[in-house]
Amino acid sequence: MFPTPIEKSSQGRQFAYKIALPIALILWLLPLIAVALTSVRSAGDITAGNYWGWPTSFNLIENYTAIFENTPIGKYILNSFKVTIPTVIGAVALSCMTGFALGVYKFRSNLLVFFMFVAGNFVPFQILMVPVRELTLDMGMYNTITGLALFHIAFQTGFCTLFMRNFIKAMPFALIEAARVEGVSEIKIFWYVVMPLMKPAIAALSVLIFTFIWNDYFWATVLTQGADTQPITAGLYSLNGQWVAAWHLVSAGSIVAAMPPVLMFFLMQRHFIAGLTLGAVK
Amino acid sequence: MHPALQGLLTIVIGVGGCVGYFYFSNVLLDRVIFPARGRDMGRNINRANMVRPWLFLFPAIFALGLYLAYPVAETLRLSLTDRAAGGAFVGLANYQQMMAEPKFWEALRNNFMWLLIVPAAATGFGLLAAQLTDRIRWGNLAKSLIFMPMAISFVGAGVIWKLVYEQRPVDVEQIGVLNAIYLALGGAEPQTWMTIPLWNSIFLMVVLVWIQTGFAMVILSAALRGIPEETVEAAIIDGAGPFQIFFKIKVPQIMGTIMVVWTTITLVVLKVFDIVFAMTNGQWETQVLANYMFDKLFSANDWGVGSASAMIIMLLVTPILAWNVYNARKEMR
Repeated sequence: MFPTPIEKSSQGRQFAYKIALPIALILWLLPLIAVALTSVRSAGDITAGNYWGWPTSFNLIENYTAIFENTPIGKYILNSFKVTIPTVIGAVALSCMTGFALGVYKFRSNLLVFFMFVAGNFVPFQILMVPVRELTLDMGMYNTITGLALFHIAFQTGFCTLFMRNFIKAMPFALIEAARVEGVSEIKIFWYVVMPLMKPAIAALSVLIFTFIWNDYFWATVLTQGADTQPITAGLYSLNGQWVAAWHLVSAGSIVAAMPPVLMFFLMQRHFIAGLTLGAVK
Repeated sequence: MHPALQGLLTIVIGVGGCVGYFYFSNVLLDRVIFPARGRDMGRNINRANMVRPWLFLFPAIFALGLYLAYPVAETLRLSLTDRAAGGAFVGLANYQQMMAEPKFWEALRNNFMWLLIVPAAATGFGLLAAQLTDRIRWGNLAKSLIFMPMAISFVGAGVIWKLVYEQRPVDVEQIGVLNAIYLALGGAEPQTWMTIPLWNSIFLMVVLVWIQTGFAMVILSAALRGIPEETVEAAIIDGAGPFQIFFKIKVPQIMGTIMVVWTTITLVVLKVFDIVFAMTNGQWETQVLANYMFDKLFSANDWGVGSASAMIIMLLVTPILAWNVYNARKEMR
């Protein structure tokens, strides 16, 4: 069997593997470990310099309730959900339709439209900043969650369409032809033939877009301000500015902010990785 | 109204709108505009089928036109005009003004440094991690852990790494991991890492490498598993060592995937903003183009120069864009 399992190779190499890999892994995760440890320490421990030793008291509950009570972090998180969930649904729904059109129909400008989507995918988002901000202001949606979500839907549609189109293109076309011969209308083909087969793609794409949008910071600062509308990434940034010295609280805050995408990742790992692989290699 | 209820309502309206648009526009097309009956039946079916793809495409094209195509054109226009003079056309004056600023050259220089180091390091580490974890029993767990930073936002990662680089006065115990290690290894006194030019840029790059390595690892590990076993087997029978197998048999076979990963990370690097903004905001010679632009637009309120620098980022992305479109076309033939 190749690659040879490490258990079968020489003693020396086995030993090196068993020792070196865990050490490398711990080094890699050291920043996260440090933050997790800091978030359960008391402020006294940190100022007194008892940082690497055993904490004098475990302040897990105190620290985490403190950030929810003393700061609007709950609001920020709610805003994040309010922006992220509609965006995921909107972008995926739109791209199912466009992906179907580009993957199934052969029409003259098909390729041109497809390349437009490919190109749109690579446009650096900074170049859009000022006009999009002005546009949102003109539409009266500056500093609203709707404005932010609408923009995200539009911007993510390029990538999603690319993804869906490639997925549909890889499906057996004979299925669609068979349905057509039976006289099934196009809309029913879309709904009853293509959509059920697209479930894995939809799952993968939803997980990907969820993390993309949850982790967005740039557009959150450009299109919103204040705790009433800003998502958690922006919230974390301003909280970090407010408590320069209170590292135990900042650490707890950053762990809370990272929780939803990390949980999402662990629960839907298979879909997440399938999505990344499909999106990148195709 | 309760926010959860409100959210639910939004979702229902959104999805309902999509399905409704899609269903009714198709019905309208098939029944009313080009009905499949009467004298022109055959012609009408063909016509309806010519229009149909555009029904599916319209919402996305409209959205992209409004939020993508128009803003690109508008930014180009802004970069050639002076907002203070009522939007008068000034030619390349903004670009000239930008070229005269040392900060711009610093940002450009740093961006090139990022471009050289980050994609190479992330792809290299990713390849190494993919190769090493493929051969152990708890490899999948290790992969998940290496991949985890990918799920954290850039701002979150910036805050986390700020703690790593934190510095305390000499006589106090260090809470920053880097300073603690530095002192344990015999360093004289704690350093303020973020203020040492050149090194601070490298410390910022480490954050991005840390995030992107997981991505590279996942993609490359899938590619490594796709390598036909016979090629490796043949090499072993011919007496190749593990390094020869890795560099001469495996790497050449996944070169295409390595290029894809490399360009994807290059794109991320060109747009890198959050990390620099959250950690140094371009102080101490760590400026990058995206943050320079943000600074010009929001702090200096100079739209002309800001837009001009956005065009420079666009210009840098263009070769990668062209290469990708070219590849997509080649695949189609």
